Amino acid sequence: MLRSWKDLDHFQEFIDSGGIVEPGDDMPDEYRSEVFRFIEFHANSELMGGLTERDWIPKTPGLRLKQIFLAKTQDEIGHAHLLYMVAADMGVKSRNQMIEELFAGKSRFHNVFHYQAVTWADQVAIAFLVDAAAFASQRAVFAQCTYGPYKRVLKRIVAEEGFHLRHGEDMLMSLAEGSPIQHQMFQEALERWWWPAVQLFGPDSDPADPLLKWKIKSERNEVLRMAYIQKFVPLLQGYGFKIPDDELRYDEASKKWLTSEIDWEPLKATMRNGGPDSRRRIANASANWSETRWVRDALDAAADNQSKNAAADGLARSAGTAA
Amino acid sequence: MRTYEVFLKRAGKEEFRHAGALDAPDDDMARLLARESYVRRGEGSLMWLVARANIVEGDSDFLEPNFDKPHRHNDGSNIAARRKRQRSAASADTEPSA
Repeated sequence: MLRSWKDLDHFQEFIDSGGIVEPGDDMPDEYRSEVFRFIEFHANSELMGGLTERDWIPKTPGLRLKQIFLAKTQDEIGHAHLLYMVAADMGVKSRNQMIEELFAGKSRFHNVFHYQAVTWADQVAIAFLVDAAAFASQRAVFAQCTYGPYKRVLKRIVAEEGFHLRHGEDMLMSLAEGSPIQHQMFQEALERWWWPAVQLFGPDSDPADPLLKWKIKSERNEVLRMAYIQKFVPLLQGYGFKIPDDELRYDEASKKWLTSEIDWEPLKATMRNGGPDSRRRIANASANWSETRWVRDALDAAADNQSKNAAADGLARSAGTAA
Repeated sequence: MRTYEVFLKRAGKEEFRHAGALDAPDDDMARLLARESYVRRGEGSLMWLVARANIVEGDSDFLEPNFDKPHRHNDGSNIAARRKRQRSAASADTEPSA
């Protein structure tokens, strides 16, 4: 063990003085389980998001966009890899266990991956609106993040999400400035995705949220959500789209865009895996896991061979010394 | 399956830095997986992969005896004080007498 703390107060002191926790540390059980749950959720979301994008590769229009979507899918699956690795190293669940629970519908992942992408414009809305919401919340985690291995992989995840976002706005721009049909297509997608994107930040933070106290989250949900709304309302309006909220208004006194009251029921349903498309998404991902079993088996067999060869090699060498 | 730690070095003077870890059956596969998940946009021009099982670790207890060895340091304050004394003596000598 590298370091240990007498009690939670000493641990808090360490966190408050800028301490970073490493995997070998004897961290408090509460910290270990909360941080693990958070990273597992993030890993699941990257995997489910990557698989959604993969579905659209054959339907993506044009070679250039297809290449972009291929690379993005690789990025997202890569993020899942890195995060599952970090999560598994916390010693709570193995990577296989996490994957199996996810595909058995026992785990949670981001609300936005519980909906169906109906048209290409939905895919653009996901690539821009939804990715931007996820990006804002990840950046807020990266800003402090007291768990060292998570912070280090977040660095590259945040960098890559930055590229995705620029691709996303490029695609949005082509629809916005395209034909009236393209413009209308995105307007309809916006109507499906605006609220899920806003809800991604979650309801107002509980002031006692341990993830805030331990500086995994650096900002409260409502602050991030409000900042997102301030940025995206004028941006989408600037492209000539209408936000699907009749009560949306600009408050002169606070100089802020205010939305109607947010209904949190849809978010809660997705957290029970009871969203509109949850069942199909999970079944698809699970089928994909079975179809790719041969790859994992081949890798395991290669690993077995490798260790057998190494053992045989060792024997031969020691026999050589004896002779 | 073996776990490997990934270290990357950017072109130029910067040192190798830890980037993350991955599981692979052998060294060749580890190299390939590392390139595809850690060096997607030129994050390094050199890469080290180290099987985690081969890392020799020294923990805080082991390093602790060297935390407090003042005789291994010298902040140069004695010499600096002497030089300061000499400077003020020299400037006193060259001051024009009244």
